Amino acid sequence: MAILVVIWAAASEIARTPLAPGPVAVGAAIAAGVRDGTLLRALVTSTARLVAGYVVALLLGVPLGIALARSTLVKQTVGPIVLGLGSVPSICWLPLAILWFGLSEWAIQLVVVLGASLPVAVATENSVKHVPPSIERAARTMGARGARLMITVTLPAALPGILGGARVGWTFALRSLMAGELLFVSGGLGQLLETGRDLGDTALVLAVVVVIVGLGRASELLLFARADRAIARRWGVEGT
Amino acid sequence: MFASAKNWLAPAVASDLPVVVVPSARAGSAIALEDVTLRVAAPEGELEILAGASLRIAAGEFVCLLGPSGSGKSTILNLIAGLARPSAGRVLEAGSPVDGPGPDRAVVFQDAALFPWLTLRRNVEFPLELRGLPARARAARSEELLRLVHLWRFHDRYPHELSGGMRQRGAIARALAGDPAVLLMDEPFAALDAQTREILQGELERIWSGTRKTVVFVTHNVREAVRLADRVVLMGTRPGRILHEETVDLPRPRAANDARVAALSNAIARRIASEVEKVAREEADDAWVVPGSRGGGDPRRHLGRGI
Repeated sequence: MAILVVIWAAASEIARTPLAPGPVAVGAAIAAGVRDGTLLRALVTSTARLVAGYVVALLLGVPLGIALARSTLVKQTVGPIVLGLGSVPSICWLPLAILWFGLSEWAIQLVVVLGASLPVAVATENSVKHVPPSIERAARTMGARGARLMITVTLPAALPGILGGARVGWTFALRSLMAGELLFVSGGLGQLLETGRDLGDTALVLAVVVVIVGLGRASELLLFARADRAIARRWGVEGT
Repeated sequence: MFASAKNWLAPAVASDLPVVVVPSARAGSAIALEDVTLRVAAPEGELEILAGASLRIAAGEFVCLLGPSGSGKSTILNLIAGLARPSAGRVLEAGSPVDGPGPDRAVVFQDAALFPWLTLRRNVEFPLELRGLPARARAARSEELLRLVHLWRFHDRYPHELSGGMRQRGAIARALAGDPAVLLMDEPFAALDAQTREILQGELERIWSGTRKTVVFVTHNVREAVRLADRVVLMGTRPGRILHEETVDLPRPRAANDARVAALSNAIARRIASEVEKVAREEADDAWVVPGSRGGGDPRRHLGRGI
């Protein structure tokens, strides 16, 4: 990491162009953004959107995945739609979302939720399907049935796979959100990127990129790495 | 032969068996299969998995179902467990028809099927949690059971941290937790190495002697069946059916290398050899003949004889 920063600094010294600011300039831009609040406000706005959209995506995706795994009717009717939608980058829905909801939070949330919920649903479907049959049969012989069987046995058994989907869903949510914020202006990190471009402020653009990378890494370390360790301790395998 | 009659009615505990403190109240209950048939839909039409099987198992009896793969022995177990329903005939437990799975009939699976996200202790407590038992009662009961199977020291381990034999012992403890009347075991020791299997057979015999649960034990291992059972039910294939029953009136506790166990095992093995060969033939090329097999086989090969 330190070596990369040194190489970056050396390269920008050699290039000597405002188009390739060095780490010092980018660091100054971050500091300035924090001081005048623009960067922090944008970070808070984006994170709040991300979390809200992601939670909705989980609440939709997990039950959808369960229904896909357990109901032939749902699988045959909704299944192809899910696969079809899943292959479309969710940002493609932004124009339609804007026509429906105008330039509002709803439009951007639709894109985030669509982007994140489908990988969650597909992963949930697969992992619920691949729960070892003897696990569920054992639970049934002990008297577990219906929703209770699903909640106390099937979902915990499928958890490593669902967590893998949740992780993919998170990155999809972040990408969809950034694309959405870049395309229409309403606060957030994506908009700040756009501002940097308008002003020709490459240091600001790179500063925002650094913050986005930081956001991704932080969520990785705080959420998913922990969950992975818990899974590994219990299952004796790495989460996917 | 006197021993036979005694075993049949109330299998006696041999006096030299170690005394077990049995954390259980309910004794075994009787099971009856009345002309049970199971058919399932298959690509080539309807397939008969089990054909007209009738079997009576006395309360507290230890019965082994023995046969090659495809003989319907696991099917009988699933029918008693309530995991499958008969196409025809009736399955009765303690006189009433089996209607779905229930905690009075616990199952131990070949792969133990412990829940990987729970510690050993929480696994044993799971059936008690389902029943709404308070935490203190659960804790006391799971400790009792884990001591019974000699796993108390490992109670806070997760299943992946245990060996195959330990997992099976844990599965037995979990099955006993709900105090079932019937213990159904589906090749529980098949995936274990020979030494571990022998130790667990001894433990199972000890636990059974103390609890007087009815045990139905599925295996394809002749020696295991003879070592454990009061009665061995031999099964055949295509369709799965009951061929013959053999009462094992040998004193307990038994050892797998006991000469009488070995002699009876050999006699039974000869009896089912033709069935085993039938399966082997179906799973191999038509022309293949089981090496060293006598009798059975393709009648065309014997056409020259005696002419």
